[in-house]
Amino acid sequence: MVHKVLVVEDEELLNRQLCDMLENAGYEAVGSLDGVNAMLAFKNFNPDLVLLDIQLPPTSGIEVCKEIRAISGVPVIMLTAKTDDEDVVAGLEAGADDYIFKPMPSFKVLQARIEARLRPLRAPEANELVIGPLVIDVLGHEVRRDGVRVPLTPLEFNLLQTLAESPKQVFTREDLLKKVWGYHYDADTRLVNVHVQRLRSKIEDDPDNPKIVVTERGVGYKAGQF
Amino acid sequence: MIGAFRRSIQFRYVTITVALSAVALVAVGGFLSFSIGNGLFQTRVEQILQESKRDSVEVQNTFSSSGATDAVSLQVLVNAVVPNLEQNAASGSRRVALLRTLNQATDQFLQSPISTTLSDADIPASLRDKVAKTDNRIIYRTETLFINGVQTPSVVVGSKINIPVAGQYELYLVYDISDVQATLDFMQSTLAVGGLIMILLLGIVAYFVTGRIVAPVARAAEVAEELALGSLDKRLPERGQDIVATLARSFNRMAQSLETQIGELSKLSKMQQRFVSDVSHELRTPLTTIKLAAEMLEARSDELDEKAKRSLDTLISQVARFESLLSDLLEMSRYDAGAVVAELESNDLKTVVKLAVAGLEPLAETLGCELRVKLPKGEVIAELDRRRIERVLRNLISNAIEHGAGKPIVIEVGQSKSAVAVTITDFGVGMSRSQMDRVFDRFWRADPARKRTTGGTGLGLAISLEDTHLHNGWLQVTSKPSQGTTFRITLPRKKDGIFTESPLPLGETLSQRRIV
Repeated sequence: MVHKVLVVEDEELLNRQLCDMLENAGYEAVGSLDGVNAMLAFKNFNPDLVLLDIQLPPTSGIEVCKEIRAISGVPVIMLTAKTDDEDVVAGLEAGADDYIFKPMPSFKVLQARIEARLRPLRAPEANELVIGPLVIDVLGHEVRRDGVRVPLTPLEFNLLQTLAESPKQVFTREDLLKKVWGYHYDADTRLVNVHVQRLRSKIEDDPDNPKIVVTERGVGYKAGQF
Repeated sequence: MIGAFRRSIQFRYVTITVALSAVALVAVGGFLSFSIGNGLFQTRVEQILQESKRDSVEVQNTFSSSGATDAVSLQVLVNAVVPNLEQNAASGSRRVALLRTLNQATDQFLQSPISTTLSDADIPASLRDKVAKTDNRIIYRTETLFINGVQTPSVVVGSKINIPVAGQYELYLVYDISDVQATLDFMQSTLAVGGLIMILLLGIVAYFVTGRIVAPVARAAEVAEELALGSLDKRLPERGQDIVATLARSFNRMAQSLETQIGELSKLSKMQQRFVSDVSHELRTPLTTIKLAAEMLEARSDELDEKAKRSLDTLISQVARFESLLSDLLEMSRYDAGAVVAELESNDLKTVVKLAVAGLEPLAETLGCELRVKLPKGEVIAELDRRRIERVLRNLISNAIEHGAGKPIVIEVGQSKSAVAVTITDFGVGMSRSQMDRVFDRFWRADPARKRTTGGTGLGLAISLEDTHLHNGWLQVTSKPSQGTTFRITLPRKKDGIFTESPLPLGETLSQRRIV
């Protein structure tokens, strides 16, 4: 199966270079030079993954990311030339699954990140998991709360599933990076923190006082005990 | 008290005012009470003398004109003198004595009358002597006498009286002038109380006057102090046209120009940092494109001839160098902007050293030099930003490898109660004193012409120094030309911990040449 990647990058040459290399690597790639076109292309092309530059005229990549999240859970990897913490966190909070700095160490590293996001889900250990009020239908890739479907991105689903499968285990942030993101690199634990916050805002009654995804101070996270 | 005198201008001036006015008042009061007392006394004495003269003449006339010659009638006359004079006093009370002059040839047959509260002994002998020898004049003397045991300032006036037949007598009139003394005492006490009130009032006046003058000065001092501490927007209130207002205005002008200039400078410096940061960011996107393009070419390098392949290698290695230069520049600009915050956590320094060494083993192997690591037993725990300290160590070790001339590199870890340290020693080319002084300068290279194998940016040690300072630590170097170089990094165990000594000596390994 050929995966479709949408490249949103305003630098024309870099955009073309990325598309060429993606196509060389066996993906179907479409480039888009600004935010408005990006949304059109997203709807027409229906990509499996979006590579999104964060500094994008006229609307910023963060806005595009929010718009995509509003209609889809498709994996989004941010490309950013800004290495300042607040830019990275802002991108992640807008719903990006992962980020990579420009210039990336190599195209292979970028490809590994893309593969990690496209990788088919692990063989489930059980068909149905339950944490408190949530029922996780692993095969159907759905989370229900009192029979009502909770919309989660694949990454958020994966995170919740990982925690639910080992309800007694405390996962460190590094564990989760490895298991959920599929690789580990110079441990940027903000990635985990931000996504746990996003997940909580969707599934918890009171995200400030979480019951389902519990923080184990100084260690990491675990599934809440009910 | 002395402290307050030194510290407070107001206290000092009030004290000086009070002290000086007290001296002035004592002088004026002393003069006043002396001259008034004198005046009172003189007036009284003159009055007494006039009265005495009149009475003395009258008594003499009484005797002279009586014509009595027998003892009985003379005694009657004599006896009448004392009560008469006692009652006739014009001013206050007086006491009277009519005494026979001593040592006369004739016999005494009259009794000498004397006031009841007076005795012969009250009249000083010297005065009697003088009165006896003086004709037609009255003599007076001031004396302190006792009346009923009470000290009384008195004036004793004596004159000669000739009583026919009976011989020469002396008439003494003793005046009590304690009323003058009382007046003087009252005046003096009034002066003293008035003086005290005056001094108190002067003190209060001085307090308020100096307060009015000192307050703006004190305020100016306060504002100047705040300004010096960095609150550049502090100003003095400008009121009126006087010298204090002039001071406030020029002070404010000074503060204003200071604030403007500092603001200008910091704006410039921010703009510059911002520029460096923006440039680094702007360069990233084209660099990414070039890098990806080179990577694509590299994948097809077997289709290229030798020369083209060499060009491609150059391209790739220089892009890598460009990239590290860019990220070092960005890091430096972050430090310059003060935007770096250490992420401190308790870490085992040994683990950090091992990681750094492991990362550089391949390079050391390529250059054929051995990394000898000496670790103490047990953990070496300190609060570190692991990423930064690992970067410092990687930088120092790769420098050592690069300058070590293929000889072994010694890496030693040490700890004390308050600090932890790592020394990295190479036995290679070393540095001269003047090179050592510049080693932490930005973009400085010991030997610009020498071939670079590790692609250093020239910012490595400058960043390492900043990283160390971020931990409140030391980064030091010692070196000898053609013997080698030791770098030592010493860090406190806790960020705010204080240490005075590094756990490891600097330069011992080098001077003992323990390895070679």
